[in-house]
Amino acid sequence: MALAVLSLLVVLSDSSSANLAVRADPLGAVVSLLVFFVGWVIVRFSQPYLKGERGEGHYVRWMLATLATVGLVLSANHVLLLALAWTATSFALHRLLTFYSDRSAAVVAAHKKAIVARAADVCMFGAVALFYAAFGTLQIDHIMRLVAEAQQVPLAAQAAVLLVVCAALMKCAQLPFHGWLIQVMEAPTPVSALLHAGVVNLGGFVLMRFAPLVSDVPAAQVLLVVAGATTAVVAALVMTTRISVKVMLAWSTCAQMGFMLIQCGLGVWEMALLHLVAHSLYKAHSFLGAGGAVRRASLEKLTPRGAPPSLSGLAVGVLIGAAMTACAGWASTWLPWAPVATPTLAMWVLVSIVSIALVPLVHAQSLQLGGGWLPALGLGAFGVALVYFGLHGLLAAWFPAPAVEPSVTHLMLCGWVALAFAALFILQSIVALSPAGALARRLYPWFYGGLFLDEKFNQLAFGWFPPPKPPAATSVLPTPGVSQGART
Amino acid sequence: MNAPVETMSVQAQRLQDQINTASARVAPTWPLDEFIAVNPYWGWVKQPIAQASAALGVIAGTRLTMPRTWYAEQYRAGQLERCHLHAAVLRSRQEVGATDLGTTDLSTAGRPSEAGVDEQVEHLVNILGDANAALPRLALVTDLRDQASAPRPGLSWSELVTHQVSQHCAAYFDRHQAAWRLNTTQGLYGSWLHHLEADHGLPWRLGRAALRARLAQLPGEPVALIAEALESLEIPQSGRDAYLSALLSAIGGWSAWCSFERWQARLHGTADDSIEHLLAIRLAWEWLLKEDASPGELPSGWASQWSGVPQRVAALQESQRTDWLLQNAIEIAFQQTLVDGLGGTSVDAGLANTGVQAFFCIDVRSEVFRRALESASPEIRTHGFAGFFGLPIAYSPLGSALTRPQLPGLLAPAQCVTERVEANLAEVLGARRRNALQWRQRWSEFRSSPSSGFSFVESMGLMYGAKLFADSVASTKAPARWENEGLPQHGAESLRPCLPLATDDPEAAATLAKGILCAMGLQTGFAPLVLLVGHGSRSANNPHSAGLDCGACGGQTGEVNARVLADLLNTPRVRTHLRTLGIDVPDRTHFLAALHNTTTDETTLFDTHAVPSHLHEMLAQLTGWLDRAGAMARAERADSLGLGELVNQEAELKTAVLQRANHWAEVRPEWGLVNNAAFVVAPRARTRHLKLSGRCFLHDYAEEDDTDLSVLTLIMTAPMVVTNWINMQYHASTVDNRRYGSGNKVLHNVVGGRLGVFEGNGGDLRIGLPIQSLHDGHRLHHTPLRLSVFIEASRTAIETVMSRHEVVQDLVNNGWLHLLRLDPQSHRVEHYGHMSWKNFPLSSETNKWASMER
Repeated sequence: MALAVLSLLVVLSDSSSANLAVRADPLGAVVSLLVFFVGWVIVRFSQPYLKGERGEGHYVRWMLATLATVGLVLSANHVLLLALAWTATSFALHRLLTFYSDRSAAVVAAHKKAIVARAADVCMFGAVALFYAAFGTLQIDHIMRLVAEAQQVPLAAQAAVLLVVCAALMKCAQLPFHGWLIQVMEAPTPVSALLHAGVVNLGGFVLMRFAPLVSDVPAAQVLLVVAGATTAVVAALVMTTRISVKVMLAWSTCAQMGFMLIQCGLGVWEMALLHLVAHSLYKAHSFLGAGGAVRRASLEKLTPRGAPPSLSGLAVGVLIGAAMTACAGWASTWLPWAPVATPTLAMWVLVSIVSIALVPLVHAQSLQLGGGWLPALGLGAFGVALVYFGLHGLLAAWFPAPAVEPSVTHLMLCGWVALAFAALFILQSIVALSPAGALARRLYPWFYGGLFLDEKFNQLAFGWFPPPKPPAATSVLPTPGVSQGART
Repeated sequence: MNAPVETMSVQAQRLQDQINTASARVAPTWPLDEFIAVNPYWGWVKQPIAQASAALGVIAGTRLTMPRTWYAEQYRAGQLERCHLHAAVLRSRQEVGATDLGTTDLSTAGRPSEAGVDEQVEHLVNILGDANAALPRLALVTDLRDQASAPRPGLSWSELVTHQVSQHCAAYFDRHQAAWRLNTTQGLYGSWLHHLEADHGLPWRLGRAALRARLAQLPGEPVALIAEALESLEIPQSGRDAYLSALLSAIGGWSAWCSFERWQARLHGTADDSIEHLLAIRLAWEWLLKEDASPGELPSGWASQWSGVPQRVAALQESQRTDWLLQNAIEIAFQQTLVDGLGGTSVDAGLANTGVQAFFCIDVRSEVFRRALESASPEIRTHGFAGFFGLPIAYSPLGSALTRPQLPGLLAPAQCVTERVEANLAEVLGARRRNALQWRQRWSEFRSSPSSGFSFVESMGLMYGAKLFADSVASTKAPARWENEGLPQHGAESLRPCLPLATDDPEAAATLAKGILCAMGLQTGFAPLVLLVGHGSRSANNPHSAGLDCGACGGQTGEVNARVLADLLNTPRVRTHLRTLGIDVPDRTHFLAALHNTTTDETTLFDTHAVPSHLHEMLAQLTGWLDRAGAMARAERADSLGLGELVNQEAELKTAVLQRANHWAEVRPEWGLVNNAAFVVAPRARTRHLKLSGRCFLHDYAEEDDTDLSVLTLIMTAPMVVTNWINMQYHASTVDNRRYGSGNKVLHNVVGGRLGVFEGNGGDLRIGLPIQSLHDGHRLHHTPLRLSVFIEASRTAIETVMSRHEVVQDLVNNGWLHLLRLDPQSHRVEHYGHMSWKNFPLSSETNKWASMER
């Protein structure tokens, strides 16, 4: 917390402060503030939650160690320091993931994470070497200055950026490297909250650090957008088939990270930052409050069933959603902080996604609500869209991102995202409209099985690096032993 | 030669019997939002507990007693003494040679047969603390394959099969978590076949194509599959029910869930066969894994072990005799303290006029509060009665789609209760609530639907920062009643749950009321104010919160039942009819509903505006007494909550207790019914002088008012069974938490919104209590003792009820609880065992005897 406040103070007093190893800038300060706020909440939560657990001290130590290493990643102004701190984060987190080291599922999931993390580390250290080869310095602000002055990004630097993107994809648990993220529910709930709110999104942060470079390397953008959009769409659909609350949340994180990476790839950096922060807060709360799932189900039982969705109902929803988004976009031009005067193509794509998102609020079934609720729904949708535009304007003003050069690649990437989300919306609508239909029934086992990607990953990865065997399980309560001699 | 040829129908009948035997052994588990306690051994109560324990050891690898090291600790701590071991040995000898009926006195008549008793006691003391021998559980195909190979590094076949079956069952039964659900039209087994066929992630040795060909040949009906698979696996006839039981216990959580589906269907007069489907699924796995095994991986003749189950059970039972002696001894040690207390003076005289009669639930937590309330004023009499107040009701909140039972899980509701308001207001409130709930639903879809989630996070995610902060800050504010969600506050306050019968058919209502009043023992002598106190708990973010509420009310708070009964008994027309039925409730008497919060020990009074003016002064006094009692009860519980240092600071303690109850990270909001050990059925006068430390269920009973034994019958067939379920839930969760408990709360992962929890990612559905409800990390808070039921009644009365009800005979004669009798005249205690009553001497008497011996 202190570190975050300190860096924020430094930012306010002198925005160009940077030295050899650490630096303070708006990006680092915002994310540090976020991580240390979430860290404060989690540490407070853990105190009664883990009371009486064996290894409580071990837990607190590694929780603080993880937070400290994340802080270092956020404030590093040196590529090597950043890479080392990122690696250290994963080692510290490993101790938390294996808090119950006698649970074989915990050990296996942590091991899987370690495999992915080491592969990401290899990429990161490769990038460090290439950066040095390209620029002769590892200080991030120097590199950025050199990039700004250079006509063209050196080939070595382009390769380095690609490696950074690869590391980010792995550490953000993009398909098919997602298995570990889904399976680490074998650690106490606050560890999941910390992982999903403060660690998994570091990939996005690192990309933001190198934003000007990423914006100059089309290959990196292609990698980010293709992988991110695929993951976002697939994981979002898999999420809707999950039957336990924490695993559903994990798939949701996977999808949300994909969306954040899309935004990085499309160069909408201010929205990527907003996404990172907002998702952290949302996901930390969802995990810590996961025990409330039973109460939420009770409230659902209280709610009378509405009419089943219909095609025309959805169509009306899409129209109203688009109209409300357009109204809000127009209204946002009156906000005191002026949003971007001419929205970019990427922004258009994102805004279209918002208008589709509003459908559940305003589709025709919702409009069956009587009395004053009808305008309230429309107003609600309008309000949501307005908040979206408002936040976008604020961040765009405060966190100026490198402008995107319109190019064929960029155009195609925007098209890819638009197509992916259209497909998502159509698939989701088909499942909702005819859940017993042929398509829904045929696709269900695939999405229920997460496209069986993780099983393939296991086969490959564990073939080379088999997981360690956990020690015999122990418990504070009796565990009747079974003899192995009971055989013919 | 005429070999006996079995007809198809005989074979089919035998198979169905085997399936029925195996499925009947599985006790149900209730969903989390109606989480009532269940005796997980309920399917075994027809057998003596020692025999059931041995059978469960062989079939499921579980134990019903604690490890010997635990008894050794108790011995060292002085909880278990030589004299208790001595008494346990004597009891066990009666078991062997019990032929004499009538009374024998332990201290005198037992002595001739005491040869070798001291040696046996000496032996017990010597073996205390030895390690238990491992249980000889019989291996399934999954176990055998695990000994040869693993399907994947870090994963065993048993785990893989459990995970696959469990995930499928969750998808099949889920109604609240997933938005895109499994198509269930083919039934549990049929959809599983379909699902397995489409699964590309399983490591089949012979490949997926071979599996698909094999699956296409499998019978489509579960019973047909079971028949074919048993034949193909060559399971001997005599071992089939044991084998099927072992398969169900290998997926015990979902077996219990399927058993619940069947239980519910039967309560409503229908049938459910999902447990047969589950059995077919698990058996199909065995079959497929046997066929997929590499040659020689399974020992030949593996299946023949199942014919030897009875011998193995007998051998295990013999070796567990010592464990049961130790268990009996520790139970005798507890009984002794209660026998000494009950045999002491009973206080009846010297009490002031009764101003308030307060009826509490029999719940052990009521005992602490009742004792405190009685000490707050001599004008209060407290009584114990089942917390659902005998009302066979379901509750449907106004304008909602919810209807839930508000009575014990053994019964089906007969009446539906909803809130009564003026006609037009009901419509207005109902419509408002429906809209508000719909809006909530829309919003939650906006949050969670696949294409909306991203924009939701970007527009609304920051708001969760404020929520995180708010939830992290301590609060003492009482949360709103969730059943009122969507109602405006003033509207919610004007609602009153009522039985429509009270106004529609006062005569029938009066008949219902009479039955309840008789069971309560309240036919005459009404105090001016009769308080009906239900109970409920308060905890936040707790999947098992319903387990802390009133089990008699179906895992809900007792608010609705208390308010409905108070309203019923206050209705003038009902009272008129009651008079014609012979119960004269004085006009001055008013019934008042209340709710005791067992977490905070606060009491809420309901509908106080209806209290007649002549009772206002008394009401004011009562409020003061309840506050006083709450403070005393909190002080008594403070130490166990880790708030011992605040025990003398009333206000600070209250704040701390309230903050704990509201805290979203609190895994031990209260200790529930931990350490329950006895059920006392007697007038309160018998126990009023005792500090029972929240270990006893208390039910009032006066034999002289119960000439036809209907009340005793009710008590022994309903509350006694319910207390046995609670007691055995705590017992089983303690002695084998892996199988009958839900493991570590910090790993809990709610399944299907309400079906149950996983511990971590997956695995079997977990039933029973979490470790945190039994253990504080340093010591066990629950001592696993079988329930000791003390009834103050004559021998003949008790024996008559027993002879008429098989369930009571099973529980008593098979040792699933202890039955003791308090003699109404002499106040001596007798222990029932093997068809006879044995005097239970006071410890002063045994000590005297012991010193004479020396």
